[in-house]
Amino acid sequence: MGSAIVTTPAHTCVARAESSSNADSVRRHDRPALSIIVPLYNEQESVRPLYAAIVQAAGQLGRTFEMVFVDDGSTDATVDIVDEIARIDSRLRLIKFRRNYGQTPAMAAGIEYARGEILVTMDGDLQNDPADIGLLLERIEEGYDIVVGWRHNRQDKLISRKLPSRIANWLIGKVTGVPIRDNGCSLKAFRGDLIKQIPLYSEMHRFIPAMASIAGPRVAEIKVRHHARRYGKSKYGLSRIYKVLLDLMVIKTVATFASRPMRWFALLALPLFVLSCAAFVHSVLAVVGGADMSMPVAGSGIVFLASAMILLCSGALAELTYARGDIRDRDFLKLTQTVSGPGSDLP
Amino acid sequence: MTTPYIPSRLSIIVPVGARRTNLKTLYAEYKAGTAAIGLPYEFIFVLDGPRVDAARALEELQRAGEPITIVNLTRCFGEAAALMAGFERSSGDTILTLPAYHQVEGSDLRKLIAALDSADVAIGYRFPRAGNALEKVRRAAFHGLVNFVTGSRFRDLGCGVRALRRQVFEELDLYGDQHRFLAILATRLGFRVAEVAVTQSPHDRHSRVYRPREYAHHLLDLISIFFLVRFTKKPLRFFGMIGVVTFAVGALLITYLGIDRIAFNESLADRPALLLAALLIVLGMQIFALGLLGELIIFTHARSLKDYRVEAVIHYPESEGSSSAGNDPESASGDRALSKSASSAVA
Repeated sequence: MGSAIVTTPAHTCVARAESSSNADSVRRHDRPALSIIVPLYNEQESVRPLYAAIVQAAGQLGRTFEMVFVDDGSTDATVDIVDEIARIDSRLRLIKFRRNYGQTPAMAAGIEYARGEILVTMDGDLQNDPADIGLLLERIEEGYDIVVGWRHNRQDKLISRKLPSRIANWLIGKVTGVPIRDNGCSLKAFRGDLIKQIPLYSEMHRFIPAMASIAGPRVAEIKVRHHARRYGKSKYGLSRIYKVLLDLMVIKTVATFASRPMRWFALLALPLFVLSCAAFVHSVLAVVGGADMSMPVAGSGIVFLASAMILLCSGALAELTYARGDIRDRDFLKLTQTVSGPGSDLP
Repeated sequence: MTTPYIPSRLSIIVPVGARRTNLKTLYAEYKAGTAAIGLPYEFIFVLDGPRVDAARALEELQRAGEPITIVNLTRCFGEAAALMAGFERSSGDTILTLPAYHQVEGSDLRKLIAALDSADVAIGYRFPRAGNALEKVRRAAFHGLVNFVTGSRFRDLGCGVRALRRQVFEELDLYGDQHRFLAILATRLGFRVAEVAVTQSPHDRHSRVYRPREYAHHLLDLISIFFLVRFTKKPLRFFGMIGVVTFAVGALLITYLGIDRIAFNESLADRPALLLAALLIVLGMQIFALGLLGELIIFTHARSLKDYRVEAVIHYPESEGSSSAGNDPESASGDRALSKSASSAVA
């Protein structure tokens, strides 16, 4: 297939400097204003129309843009088709995974490799309309850090798709405190500097706004168009609810307590401590009253007390983990803070 | 689109541990087998701990002008660490690991290198395999368990004969006894692993008697690989489930006891079941807390623990039509476990 185009990942110090952190040098060179990130998994029919629609929509915006397609280990001709397009369009880059990893890693990789100042993510199956990108950008320019799409006229089955999703969104909003009506919509826009700092792992692509809430972003929601799936098969189902619930719990605990881990553990330890005190009082009263101390009660008291102590020790361990980790609140607050007064001149 | 793999230089790594034969005859056999491949090669013997006789034999070979590098480790770090130490000294683009005792016929090494054409890792699989019925049952049980737990299908993980592309080794970070699970870990990183049937060496056809300790080690290895493969990404999902179930059983039991106390006036203090309920509740909370701790570790390191492996970045820049930047930010995961433990041993 012609000259060498695909170099296998070899030497990585170069990669580090190029792909991440060194945002300043990138900005000086050719940082595009906009990156459009699309995860693809077996989308051979959709890729060309999708590309055409993106180019058409983004071309009208009058700014520089790039497209980052992430191939999540497709087994069909997706990669070959994208390769062909990339040959004639240097604005397109394809991140090819070694195997199928799932949607969150694909999004995370796209965000990592994207160089734009504003990042837009969307689905690879033509359910989102690239023509809506302009609307998202307008809101970002108004000062929002994250703008999420809301498929208000969703083209899906009511019982199996829309209803569970409505319940899930309500629950996610309640639990995370980020009331978004449609977390499942992939069409979202982010300020690049912010989203690149947010850790995305497990299956968090559904919860990016919730996860990003650790940075305190300004979030807006706008109505976007939604088309029924034209090609391929949906890769979602009802079976995911249990996973969603657990992930939700994880995000909630991490987002609220990551910077104060001792509180998690103190919260768990407190009821145990109260119970052990109760058992102690019960035993003392029994002895004072001249009766025999009850073994089960005294035993449970000791067990509760021991457990409370171990939980507090785990809390100390958790503090250590946070203090030694690379993700700290102080990185996030820099992204969203606004400063006025004399101090605002400092870098 | 995949370019054919043409190995240009072989590095042969032989970790020398407690189990070893006369290295001179072994080397002669390996050398004959390697020479038949027809590529330039180097031999790296890693002496895992002081092995006086082996060192003497190798030095004699060295003096005789054989292309041998000897790496002496000051104490026994284990085979996985020895492999990594040898790899750091290697320069070939294809790595062949061989055991320090006769396991397969040297003439079969060619087959493994040939298999790399369509795979990233080729592991030997001794077939036909000698051994009595008991051994066969033991092997089948071990592999059955491993395959069940990890979802892979390998038949001879004990075979120390493996051929790997250099890139695989660069991304692997083996420690402890993980050499046995190299194939599984490589699969997990998204590499293609092929099993190649090789002829068992006549010297390997005696029955080995395993001591109970070795069975225990195998079992522990299995448990550690189980956790590594299944739960390192979502600790709270795993520990949370176990914790919640344990807690729920304890809570149900205590509710029953409470109802008994209130409704039927059955004295709570005389019932050992109270102690059991307390233990279950406490245990459930402890396990859950461990999950939280695990989740915190994942969260604070999420930036360096990427879930995905990028095979290639396909991009055709406008200026030069040929080059493309293939970067894998992941494989720069930093210091190997080995260099750390080596320095701490000195201190």
